[in-house]
Amino acid sequence: MTAMTLGEIQRPDARRAPLGRLLRSELRMVLRRPRTLILVGLLALVPVIAGIGIWIAADASANSGNSVDEGLAGLVDGNGLLLPVFALVIGLNMLLPLTGAMLAADALAGEAASGTMRTLLLAPVSRSRLLAVKAFGVATVTLFVVALMAFTGTIAGVILLGGDGMMTMSGTTLPLGEALGRILLTVLLVTVQVWALAAVALAVSAWTEHPLIVVVVALGVVILSGVLSAIPALDWLDPVLMTTSWMGIPEVIRDPLPTGTLTEGVLRAACYIVIGYSLALSRMLSRDG
Amino acid sequence: MDRKRTALTVAAAGTATGVVGLILLATPAGAGEQPPALPEISPEALVESVIKTEKIPAMSGAVEFTSDLGIPVPGLPQAGSGGEAAHVYTDGEGRARVSISQGGSERTIVHDGTTTWMWNSADRSVQKMVSGEHEKKTAEHKLADPATAAREFIGLMGKDSTITVDGTARVADRPVYQLVLTPKPTERTLLREVRVAVDSETRLPLRLEVLANGQAEPALRIGFTDFETGAQDASLFTYTPPAGAKVTESKPGDHKPSEAELKEKQNLFESIDGKTVGEGWDTVLVGKVPAELLTGEVKSGERGTTDPSRLLKQFGKEVSGPFGTGYVISSKVGTLLVTADGRAALGAVPQQVLVDALGAK
Repeated sequence: MTAMTLGEIQRPDARRAPLGRLLRSELRMVLRRPRTLILVGLLALVPVIAGIGIWIAADASANSGNSVDEGLAGLVDGNGLLLPVFALVIGLNMLLPLTGAMLAADALAGEAASGTMRTLLLAPVSRSRLLAVKAFGVATVTLFVVALMAFTGTIAGVILLGGDGMMTMSGTTLPLGEALGRILLTVLLVTVQVWALAAVALAVSAWTEHPLIVVVVALGVVILSGVLSAIPALDWLDPVLMTTSWMGIPEVIRDPLPTGTLTEGVLRAACYIVIGYSLALSRMLSRDG
Repeated sequence: MDRKRTALTVAAAGTATGVVGLILLATPAGAGEQPPALPEISPEALVESVIKTEKIPAMSGAVEFTSDLGIPVPGLPQAGSGGEAAHVYTDGEGRARVSISQGGSERTIVHDGTTTWMWNSADRSVQKMVSGEHEKKTAEHKLADPATAAREFIGLMGKDSTITVDGTARVADRPVYQLVLTPKPTERTLLREVRVAVDSETRLPLRLEVLANGQAEPALRIGFTDFETGAQDASLFTYTPPAGAKVTESKPGDHKPSEAELKEKQNLFESIDGKTVGEGWDTVLVGKVPAELLTGEVKSGERGTTDPSRLLKQFGKEVSGPFGTGYVISSKVGTLLVTADGRAALGAVPQQVLVDALGAK
């Protein structure tokens, strides 16, 4: 706190660094970490692997005469544009929350662990702006990863599974343009959900210096929500659980689009984002370095 | 210390906003609202206006189904992940679209005036039926349409019940009259009352609730959670099967069952020999269970073979009486009695009424 005040006094002309440069440098830093790059690469492979799996399964089941699988997976065969949606839905089960938690862990707790947090707090940047830059880094990389998964998924789907237009769960066919619109919508919805978990993780990240704790707590939240939503006696709890929105994501491939469920999911995520960021901000403001 | 105070304020304000938002999301719409003021109406006039309303206006509505029967009942529509079990669209001129979610799959039924299409996403099949046949085929899907279900129920149960109007309420954000059907004291039934929420404007039943004795929450509830009248997008009522779907087509009289098939069906029907005993609330359905059902193994869908007699032993309780011995399965709204010699009785009544009904046979 005192260090901050001193910094402000000594360099009154440099009180504000240009925001654009801060954001760029943060992104560059996050994307240059080898672990981020490995994670991004692996996630981009998920839709391709899923596509190959369904392709092989479809070949095998064509001989036996049974349908590939139940639910969403069963619809993906011969319906390539559904592959990105399918990949994002399975990604949201564990891989994408893990990514969000890891990015949030690196953002604050990681800095504290490597001792660079002190430098950041001394820099001529206000604490709230520092958090905003960190949150921006997490959010942008999340969006990038999700969009990349959708991209590789679309390419792999069209090449491996083919099909023109998208066959929806309601048994209608959407033309290519609308199908791509649905994929884009899925990307946005999934990203918002990962942001919600990342916001909670960021709050934990601001309070600890051990990145591992952040990841463990975030995954604990995911697993606990899943367990609570599986207990019928606690059904009244469902509307406040983060995972309820996640399970609603496959609704995106119904026709006409059930906007009610999807909007509710986004609003729920927004509530978690507000809670997470305000807790993180309060810790950042009161932190002594 | 100023900064600490700011920090606390930020934390408190943000957390409070988020928590309030979550609570608002969890609160069902219209909870805690004052019931709307509607002109008084006599129960008779309300019932008549409901039964007379044959024509459903152009509308779109989300249907929710919840049950608390005490035992699992297969075949009933399950609430989807979003809590929406079905979505109904009609254009007011006989064309309709119903989407029913069943776990991870969806059924869509589109009736475009002349042809009915039934899509099932689980096996990607489309059934195409030219008009005339769809009425009986879609009978099972009437469950998804609270308006029809409630109207039929009122017509059926009206004369054995005391009918009252229990004030007003809001269902799907529309003002409704609460029509309550209570069994007359002479009726021996497990049910306490049936509540039907009738829309004050269209006179369509928007919700049906079945309450059993000694239960605060409805054992069965089917109703609209969202209901809007108004013209619907015409493209909703046309259907083109997607590429790669299995389309089976049937026309009235197209399907001629082979003689053996017919005979088998007839045999099965005769062997069940179903009839009803009593009327009104304590109607009991009495019949015979085909012997091979009780002793043999029956293929039931994809779950392989199940042994019905083992199921009976698992869910039922062994009882004996003037009918011999048998098993009784009781739920909150109904009882099923199967005797060892293959007779069965089913009704929304206590066990004793079933025993009497078997004796009356």
